[in-house]
Amino acid sequence: MLKDGLALSADGIRMVYRDRSTRQELVAIEQLDLDIPEAQFVTIVGPSGCGKSTFAKIVNGLLPATHGTIEVRQAAHGRDHAMVFQDSSLFPWYSVLGNVAYGLVCQGVSKRDAQEQAMPLIRLVGLDGFEHKYPYQLSGGMQQRANLARALTVDPELLIMDEPFAALDAQTRELMQAELLRIWATSSKTVLFITHQIDEAIFLSDRVIVMSARPGRIIADIPIELPRPRELGIKRTPRFVAYEEQIWNLISIQLTKVGGRTVEAA
Amino acid sequence: MAVGASSIAGRQHPPIRRRSWRGRVPERLLFGVIGFVGVLLLWEASVRLGLLKASLVSSPSGVINAAIIDFGSGAIQPHIETSFLEWLVGFAVALVIAIPLGFALGSFRRLEFLVDPLLAALYATPTVALVPLIILLFGVGIQSKFAVVFLEAWVTLTVSTINGVQSADRRWLDIARSFRAPKSLVFRSVTVPSSIPFIITGIRIAAGRALVGVVVAEFIASNIGLGFYISVNGSFLNASRVMLGILLIGGFGVFVGELIRRVERRFEAWRPAFN
Repeated sequence: MLKDGLALSADGIRMVYRDRSTRQELVAIEQLDLDIPEAQFVTIVGPSGCGKSTFAKIVNGLLPATHGTIEVRQAAHGRDHAMVFQDSSLFPWYSVLGNVAYGLVCQGVSKRDAQEQAMPLIRLVGLDGFEHKYPYQLSGGMQQRANLARALTVDPELLIMDEPFAALDAQTRELMQAELLRIWATSSKTVLFITHQIDEAIFLSDRVIVMSARPGRIIADIPIELPRPRELGIKRTPRFVAYEEQIWNLISIQLTKVGGRTVEAA
Repeated sequence: MAVGASSIAGRQHPPIRRRSWRGRVPERLLFGVIGFVGVLLLWEASVRLGLLKASLVSSPSGVINAAIIDFGSGAIQPHIETSFLEWLVGFAVALVIAIPLGFALGSFRRLEFLVDPLLAALYATPTVALVPLIILLFGVGIQSKFAVVFLEAWVTLTVSTINGVQSADRRWLDIARSFRAPKSLVFRSVTVPSSIPFIITGIRIAAGRALVGVVVAEFIASNIGLGFYISVNGSFLNASRVMLGILLIGGFGVFVGELIRRVERRFEAWRPAFN
C-alpha cells in the first residue's frame, strides 16, 4: 500500500537490457528508490543514457522493470497517470482537437463529448483558434502545448513529462517552462519531469533528483527552496546560480567517469 | 504579364515576371499535355513525310478515322464494356479480399511467417504462366478473365497493406498504450492511419497490374474485349485499330491513376502539402 500523502513510490527499481546479438547484459538502472509526495514537482536530471527516460517509461507502464515495484496513487476520478512525450509525438493524422481528446476516447468517452471536454484544456495551454490545425501546421512549441493538453485531459494524478522541451529552440524552451509553471499552478498535480537541462530542472521543481551515468542510480536529492510563483528572471539570481553550480559539479564528475563523452550531456 | 491580376505591391516594385496560367493550370498538367500532343504531332508528321509507314504504325489522323468508324457503328463499345467489366470485377474482388488479409497478416507475425514464402513465390511468378491453369479451372469465358485480373492485383495489395501495418511507428503505439487504448482503438487510431499511404500506393500499382491482366487474358483466349480487338486487328494488319485499342487502354490507365491520386490527397489532408 502507498503511504498517505505519497503520489508515487518506486522501490528497488532495477532495469537490465539484454543485447540480442552480443548476448551481453546492459544495466540501464542499477538501483532506484524514490518517493514523491502529492502535488510535488520533481525533476530527474542526469547525463545521457543514465536511464532517466527508461524510468519514466517504467512508471508509465510501457516497460516492465527487471526488479522492484512502482506504486502510483489511484485517482479518485480521472486517470492515475499520463505522459507528455518527447517532441513530435502527436498523431499526425488527427487535428489538435482529435489529439487532445484522444485520452478520453481511450477511456470510452464518445468522440463528441471528448472533444467538448478537450476544449477548456486547449484554451488553458493557449491553443484556442488552432484546434482544427494538424500537427504539421504548428510550431514545435505549439505541438508541445497540445501534447501537454492531451495528457491533462484525462485529469491524471501524476503527470510524467519525458524531456518534453528538448527539441525546442532556447527561447521557446524558456517560454514553455514559464507556461508549464503557470498551468501547473492551476492544477496542483504531482509532476515527474525528466530533462538533461540543469536550469530547466531547478526553475521548475520543488526537488531535483540527480542520477549517475550508466548504470543509473540516484546520487543526490536536492530540495529547491526558491519562492513561487517563479519568473524567468529568477534564473539570474545568486541562489539559482548556486543550485546550478551544485548540480553541474555532481554531473560533471559523472561525465569524467564516462570519459570523452562530455559533449553529449552538455 | 498577368492581365488585371497585378497587385498594388506589383506596381510599386520592379516588374515581377508572372504568367497568367500560373496558379490556374498546374505546370504538371500543362507540360504533360504539351509532351503528349508533341509526340502526336511528331508521329503525324513522320508519316506524312514518309519517314514511317502508315500501314505499319498508322497515324493520329488514321486512328481518329478508325475511332469515328468503330464508335459510329457501335462495333467497339461491347469490347470496351467487357474489358471494363473484367477490370472492375477482378480489381474490386482483389480490394475486398487483399486489404483485410493484409491487415490480418500484418497484425499477426506468425501468420505472416506462415504465408510469406507463398506470397513471395506468387509475386515472382508472371501471371501469364498461370493463365492455362486458370482456363482449365474457369473455362474460356469471362470468369477466367476475372480470375486473371484478380491474381494480377491482389498480391501487390496484400503485400503493401502488410508493409503499412508493420510500418506503424513504435512511438505512436506507445502513446496509444500509454493512454490504455483498447485494441480495437489502437487499430483504428494508429494501425489504419499509418498504413493508408502504403495501401493507396498498393492500389495504384494494383490498378495498373489489373489492366495488364485484362489484356493478357484476352490475348490468350477470348472473342471479345479490347485485348481481343487489338490482337484480331493486328492479325488483319489494321494498324489504326490496333493503335486505337492501345490508346484506349493507356488512356484508361492514366485516368484511373489520376483518380487514385485525387483520393490520396483527400485522405492525406494531415500531410504537408506536396506537389
